[in-house]
Amino acid sequence: MDFQAFKQAVIEEAKALGIAAYELYYQAEESTSISAFKHETNKFTSSAEGGVCFRCLHNGHMGYASTQELSAEQAAALVRRAVDNADVLESDEPEFLGEGGKTYQELDVVPYALPDTQQLTDCVLKAQDAVYAADNQVTDGGTSQAFSETYRIAIVNSNGLDLSYENSLAGVMLSAVVTDGTEKADSYKFKVGSFDKLDLGELANKAVTSAKSKLGAEVAPTGAYPVVFSPDAMADLLATYVSVFSSESAQKGLSRLGDKEGQVIASPAVTLVDDPFHKDSPMPIAFDAEGSPTSRKNIIENGVLKTLLYNLKTASVAGKETTGNAFKGSYASKVSIAPFTFYLAAGEISEEELLRQAGNGVYINSLGGLHAGANVISGDFSLQSAGFMIENGVKTTAVKSFTVAGNFYDLLGQIRTVASNLELSDAAGMMNFGSPSVLVDGLSIAGK
Amino acid sequence: MISRIICERVLQKAVSTGADYAEIFAENTVDHVINMIDSRVDSVNDSVIAGAGIRVFKGLRSVMATTTDTSEAGLLRCAEKAAEALGQGTAEISITLHERLFGDIHPVRVVPSSVSNREKVNLLKEGYFAAKEYNDAIRQVTGTLLDVDHNILIATSEGIYAQDRQIRTRMMINAVAEINGETQTGGCRPGRRMGLEMFETIHPKDVGIHAARQAVTMAGAGYCPAGVMPVAIGNGFGGVIFHEACGHSLEATSVAYGRSQFAGKLGQQIANPKVTAIDDGTIANDWGSINFDDEGTPSRRNVLIENGILKSYMIDKLGSRRMGMAPTGNARRQSYSYTTTSRMTNTFIAEGNDDNDEIIRSIEYGLYAKEMGGGSVNPTTGEFNFAVNEGYIIRKGEICEPVRGASLVGKGSEVLMNIDRVGKGLECGQGMCGSSSGSIPTNVGQPLIRVSSITVGGR
Repeated sequence: MDFQAFKQAVIEEAKALGIAAYELYYQAEESTSISAFKHETNKFTSSAEGGVCFRCLHNGHMGYASTQELSAEQAAALVRRAVDNADVLESDEPEFLGEGGKTYQELDVVPYALPDTQQLTDCVLKAQDAVYAADNQVTDGGTSQAFSETYRIAIVNSNGLDLSYENSLAGVMLSAVVTDGTEKADSYKFKVGSFDKLDLGELANKAVTSAKSKLGAEVAPTGAYPVVFSPDAMADLLATYVSVFSSESAQKGLSRLGDKEGQVIASPAVTLVDDPFHKDSPMPIAFDAEGSPTSRKNIIENGVLKTLLYNLKTASVAGKETTGNAFKGSYASKVSIAPFTFYLAAGEISEEELLRQAGNGVYINSLGGLHAGANVISGDFSLQSAGFMIENGVKTTAVKSFTVAGNFYDLLGQIRTVASNLELSDAAGMMNFGSPSVLVDGLSIAGK
Repeated sequence: MISRIICERVLQKAVSTGADYAEIFAENTVDHVINMIDSRVDSVNDSVIAGAGIRVFKGLRSVMATTTDTSEAGLLRCAEKAAEALGQGTAEISITLHERLFGDIHPVRVVPSSVSNREKVNLLKEGYFAAKEYNDAIRQVTGTLLDVDHNILIATSEGIYAQDRQIRTRMMINAVAEINGETQTGGCRPGRRMGLEMFETIHPKDVGIHAARQAVTMAGAGYCPAGVMPVAIGNGFGGVIFHEACGHSLEATSVAYGRSQFAGKLGQQIANPKVTAIDDGTIANDWGSINFDDEGTPSRRNVLIENGILKSYMIDKLGSRRMGMAPTGNARRQSYSYTTTSRMTNTFIAEGNDDNDEIIRSIEYGLYAKEMGGGSVNPTTGEFNFAVNEGYIIRKGEICEPVRGASLVGKGSEVLMNIDRVGKGLECGQGMCGSSSGSIPTNVGQPLIRVSSITVGGR
């Protein structure tokens, strides 16, 4: 059955079991993707996936259950499973469902036509050609992929909430492998948006230039230097430590910022913004996973922590209003907390000037193993890195196979300068990260 | 699930435009997760994942279409979509399926779905409170009990029609300790392809104590120094070094596309002669074990490296076509919505002849990485990293004070040559491995080994 019919069946079952407070969260995705390798398309994927999460209040506890199978049998089972799951919960914090009747920001989104199969095919083949044409050091190994995707969400609950959202996007990824005869290096680039505005030659050149710059890289020397993080590297670090800014983590003692609102937690150069409506977000949205209106706000303003990110439950625990940051990793997940487009605001000076300020140090444009080498609770990190040495204020030798180590909480205070070259990392989801280049003091480099 | 007759019709539709291979992968999976935090049961969630992925090949080209509608009509529509995407042509093969019983070498005595939430909560609490009450330094504990009931059906144009039920159970306890204002974490995350009888041999209390002990040890530790030094890596999850430094680079996913430092090196010395490494999906009830892979190829024990010589890659069907080598039973996918590719199962360095005490004594100054965390690798360049969750300085052959915040980085081809001691006491640790076909359960393992020289990222 379709979602509408399934929804009715679930609601009837809930009523029959005497459940007064409930919510259905529906998510569906349809996507088409085509890949090419060595100038030929080699993979085509067309997928349709979706599921429904049901949650309900039972004896003051919120029970969850979800399914991808929309049948009458599952509709009944879903409600019973959610009640069963609520039965063993022990938390005494109050639980909430969103209220209907709120007003939401109007989104300023310009929809574009999604590419059809032929356009996707043309795009990946052109991307392959562009990569090979970019340089004679390009060798086999790089792939290209183009995709289109439509994403739908609906939230319906017993408080009169009835919201839906649909977003379509297209994108292309291309990777380049280069060799100088003795070693190989690679790089990939990703771009989301209308294919009309896509410059594949430029994208391919960027990937190839980046891969070539890694050839002949040396291991950086061990020591303590000023470090400049590129926009991508800093955005990756922000993404890794995003839970530090979650009130849920803070209330559970898993973030150190629990009692720091209103206090200085970072250098005055730091302003951190969460913007659900950002013009470059591939998926701007006016409501969060609980149906609360979303809003743009500064999380850190000139070094002062203005607010953590809240949902209905954590806001109630803290005696505050939700910031509209309720989040579900997938439709099946429990409601948690996350930002939307989360970025470090641009400073005044160019990256070149930032490098001059650094003098002699290390420029890091790639971080690896963030899921392993960064501890989100202690803040400690020791991460595989690659980039360039900075000598007398300019980038020189390529370096790799070294680590940068420090602590994220300390790093916020160690940021000396933020450059003006703000970039958002290319992502295809609701959560995006961005940063300009930043100059950080006090980090350790381990290499040779 | 889906009858043999329906599968035949669907596959016939899938090959109607000239595919030389077609496959249905259908699943019905129930994930059940119980979470604790703040000494309370905080969430219980279960989800049903149900759908099918249909793949067709023609030469080196592959098409996959997925659907959540597993009725005959839904599957036929999905097959038609796949056939159309492949191009224009007429059927060149006809489909006859024979049911195949691979057998199940992973007996399950206590099927998790037959056990009440209360009983599961009691098991989790045993582990949780063993950590929480370990000592006063423990500030917070999170606990998870996870069980997965993954039912799969595979039907292929080669005639296979087979089903398998993969039941897995895992407990994860993470502890946060604070000493003198320094916060550190510890964890223990055992899992098996078993039911709840797993906890008869792996006691929840031990899981909690392990996590808490590690958190307390690390909270009292200073920072790991940085530099190049010899490192002794402990057994169990220490095997992540092979998984990252070599394993991923032996998957057809990278080898078939020339994106591996070990492509074209069969029969050559790629590791120190002390190293023999094996991928074995047939270990009864182990975390990464499978009866047959997600393309219907029986799982087996593949010797990847024998005394340093490269013996085998890990190959799926599509990779096999590009490489001209037979599939090895390593084709895996997280779910029907991911495209299958070659993956690891239980991958480990075999026991060697070196004495464990001598390995430690042989190090004048270095690091003992007792427990490792996760890592990652770029197979094209071989550059990898992984985190040390519990490390100690070795001075004059003695294990000394604990150190925190370390990671190890290097290049696979170099580090494999630098594994110059392989000791005793092979054990495996459980992880979830992420790659293009999603997140799948894999075991990593080894006895105690020594790496003569590697970059230690500390400060």
